[in-house]
Amino acid sequence: MKAPVIIVCIKEIPDPEGPSSAFEIHSDTKQVVPVGIPPVINPFDQNALEAAVRLKDRLGGRVIALNMADKPITPVLKRALSVGVDEMIVLQDSAFKAITSQSTAEVLSAGIKKIGSYDLVLTGRQSADWDFGQVGLLIAEILGIPAINLAQVVELREDGIVVEKLRRVGHEVVIAPVPALVTVSSEVGDLRLPTLKAIQDARKKPVTVWSAAHLGIEAGKLRTRGIRSLTSPSSRARTCLRIEGSTPQEKGSNLALQLRQDKVV
Amino acid sequence: MANDGGRIAVLIGQGGGQASPAAFELLNAGRQLARGGRQILCACVLGQGIAGVCDEISFYADEVYAIDNALLAEFQADIYASALEEVCRTISPVALLMEHSYENYELAPKVGYRTGSEVITDCTAIEKDEVSGALLCTKPIYGGNAVAVFELKSTPHIVTIRAKVYDALERGGSRGRVVRLECDLSPSLARVRSMEVVPGQNVSLDKAEVIVSAGRGIKTQEGIDELRRLTGALERFFDKVEVGASRPVVDAGLLSRSHQVGQTGEKVSPQLYVAVAISGAAQHVSGIVGSKKIIAINKDGEAPIFDIADYGVVGSFEEVLPSFIEQLEGLP
Repeated sequence: MKAPVIIVCIKEIPDPEGPSSAFEIHSDTKQVVPVGIPPVINPFDQNALEAAVRLKDRLGGRVIALNMADKPITPVLKRALSVGVDEMIVLQDSAFKAITSQSTAEVLSAGIKKIGSYDLVLTGRQSADWDFGQVGLLIAEILGIPAINLAQVVELREDGIVVEKLRRVGHEVVIAPVPALVTVSSEVGDLRLPTLKAIQDARKKPVTVWSAAHLGIEAGKLRTRGIRSLTSPSSRARTCLRIEGSTPQEKGSNLALQLRQDKVV
Repeated sequence: MANDGGRIAVLIGQGGGQASPAAFELLNAGRQLARGGRQILCACVLGQGIAGVCDEISFYADEVYAIDNALLAEFQADIYASALEEVCRTISPVALLMEHSYENYELAPKVGYRTGSEVITDCTAIEKDEVSGALLCTKPIYGGNAVAVFELKSTPHIVTIRAKVYDALERGGSRGRVVRLECDLSPSLARVRSMEVVPGQNVSLDKAEVIVSAGRGIKTQEGIDELRRLTGALERFFDKVEVGASRPVVDAGLLSRSHQVGQTGEKVSPQLYVAVAISGAAQHVSGIVGSKKIIAINKDGEAPIFDIADYGVVGSFEEVLPSFIEQLEGLP
C-alpha cells in the first residue's frame, strides 16, 4: 500500500508519575503548579507516537507531530523528532491558554486541515493532567472522519485501518476507511528510546509554527475552561498503624494477629 | 406534576435484559438534581428488545424514553450517538447523565459535539448552582492529585459519572410513563465496522470483598504466585478475593489488563485492599481510596502508599508475605 502520512497530536504535561507532593494546588489562581518534577510528553501521546513510528517502520511514509500550546516549543516536545517523527508543527498562540476540550479540538483540527493530506490522526486516549479524554474524538467529529477509541494495536491495510479496541473485558477488532482518527492506550507499548545518531539528525528536522491567525481562528471564539474551584483531594490521608517486629517475618505474622484483634479477618 | 424546571435525562446502560448496576446510581444522582429544580426525571433506554428493562426502570423514573431498534443491539458509537441526539432533540433535557464506562467514554463527546454542548467526564459529584443555573461538576484531575469543580453552562449539561460514588436509587411505588420513540437509524451512520469481539478474562474487581494487588516492586511470576497464595489464605475469611495490579505490572505483562486498578483501570471499593510493593502514585491511589481498609506492604518506609493505608508493614514482600500467610492460615 502507499506510504501513509500520519499526524500525531502531542502535549507536554508535568510527569504524572511524580509524587503527590510535587503537585502544588494554588486554589487562588485555580492552578496546579508542578514543583521539582520534569515535564514529559503526555505518556498516552508517547504511546501514540510509538504506534505511528511502528507503522512507518513497516510502511514508510511520514510522521508529523502536532502540538498546541500557548508558549514556544520546548526541548521535551522536540524529543519526538529523535524517535522517528519527521516534522513538527506547533500551533502556538497566547489565545490557546487554558481552553476547553472542544476549543482545543477546533484548533488542532484547523492545524490538521492546514496540513491538508493525511491518512491517519493519532492521539493519546487522554492527557494525564486534565483527564478529559475527549479531544481526539472531537477532532474526528469536526473533521467528519471515523474515530476509534482506546486502541491497543493499530494496523494499516489496503482496505483501511484495523484496530484492536479495548473493551472493559477483552477487545474488539474494528475496521474503518482512512483518513481516520485513533486514540491510543498504554497497551500499545512504550515509546522507543532515541539513538545518538537520531538525536543529532533531529536538529535538522523542520519545526513549523502557526499562530491563531495562520489557522484562521478568531481568538474570541475560543472558550476557556470554566473552573469554579480547585482544591486538594480531601480526607484521603488515614492514620497508618505501622506493624512492628524485629524481623520482616515477625512483622508478617504480627500483621495477621493485628487484623484478627481488630476483627478485620 | 410540577415541571417548571424541565427534564433531567439519564442514559440507562443495559444488557441481557437488565439495567446495569450503575444505572440506579445515575438515577439517584438525577433524582437529587431533579428534586432541587422540580424537574422531571427521565430515563433513556437504547437497545433492542428492551421492553423488560423499560418496565423495571419505570419504577425509578417519572418518564422512560425508549428507542428499540435492531441497529442498537450492539454498541456502535456513531449509531448510539444519533439515537441519543434524537432523544435530546425530542425532550430537550437540561442535563444528560451517563455512566463513565468504556462505551460512554466514546459516546459522550460525540453527543456533546452534535448537541453543541460541553462535556465533563468522570465526575464524582454533580450539583446545580441555583444562582447561575450552571451544573457544578466535581472531577479529580492530575491523576487524583487535585480536585476541580467545573461550571457547565451549555445545555444539555452532559456529564459522565464515576461508578459507585452515588448510592443506588430505591425502587418507587408508582410507575413512570414509558414512551417509545421512533428514530430513523441506518447502518450507514456507522463510520467504523466491527469485525470480531475477542473475550477477555473476566476479573470482577468491582464485586470483590478483598483485592490483593501487585505493584511495580513485583517483577516476576513467582511474586504473583506468592500473591495468589495470600488470596487463598484470605478466602478463609472472605467470599470473593481477587488479584489486582498497578499499571506497570500490567504493562510488564505479568497480569492481564482486567486486573488493573487505578485511574485507567478499575476504581474499586472492597472491604480490604492489600497493596503489595505498590508505591502509591496518585493514579493508583485514586482508584482505591474508596476501600474500607487498606494494608500496605512496601520495603520503602517513605512510600506515599503508607499515607493512605490503615496498616503498614515496612519490609520486602518476599520476606513478609510467607509468615503473614502462615499466620492467617493458623488463626482459629
